Amino acid sequence: MSPPRVLSCTEPPVRERAPPEENRTSTHPWCTAKNLEVCERNRPSTYIYKIADEKIRNHAQQGLSSSHEVMGLMVGGLFRWQDREYTLVRDVVTTDLDSDMLGVRFRADGFAGLIDSLDDLDFNYRIVGWYHSHPGIGCFLSHIDHSTQSGIFNQSHHSALVVDPKNKELEVYSGTELTSFRIYWDRFQDPC
Amino acid sequence: MGIRLKVKNAEMGKELTLELSPDETIEDVINSAAEYWNKDSGAYIIRRGKQILKGGMKISELGILNDDVVELIPDPEGG
Repeated sequence: MSPPRVLSCTEPPVRERAPPEENRTSTHPWCTAKNLEVCERNRPSTYIYKIADEKIRNHAQQGLSSSHEVMGLMVGGLFRWQDREYTLVRDVVTTDLDSDMLGVRFRADGFAGLIDSLDDLDFNYRIVGWYHSHPGIGCFLSHIDHSTQSGIFNQSHHSALVVDPKNKELEVYSGTELTSFRIYWDRFQDPC
Repeated sequence: MGIRLKVKNAEMGKELTLELSPDETIEDVINSAAEYWNKDSGAYIIRRGKQILKGGMKISELGILNDDVVELIPDPEGG
């Protein structure tokens, strides 16, 4: 039997949209010094919505008491402005997890919940990356994380956020390198 | 004549159209899409609406019609 035949591949155009205004963005209070250096040297490639960041950190805090890792998907969109592409992380979704101190993944019976969360989003989503926690062990990409980056999140607009809620550290990677990112908030929203 | 199935990649925004025979399985669909997009085929699940399609299911068993859309969802692992 021959394998399925590819007839065509289509890709929606990247939408033109100005990035968040600079006065509605900031560096992340938990950003590590080495990631901050990257942020200071480069224009942001990723903007993370303040509420998405809060959800990620709250989720990581929940796993802290048991020292279990937590994980979820970052959803948003890819945009272009003045010939430069950037990613907005508008929200996060997660579900029940199989996790311990060394690893994490979605439970097989958790995908129905994950799909419900995706369907509940009020925008046409793209999964733009993933987050997971390293409770008490600092931010880095493990061997397993490298495999996830190369096997799934291997496009330039993808990112991996790693958070250590115990040490209050956070890093964002594109591929296996630290990338420049900022937190953004809506007009009239309290940035604190 | 095969069945045309559209496979949407949730993390790339791209959509692949595959031609399938009724005996092919969801695992074949995932493998073809993953190979085309240079992804790890073991790191995805596939859904049609709210239904998660299991790897061993045959196209003929699923009542798939021409131009039905399924979506690849990443199943990442962190360590």
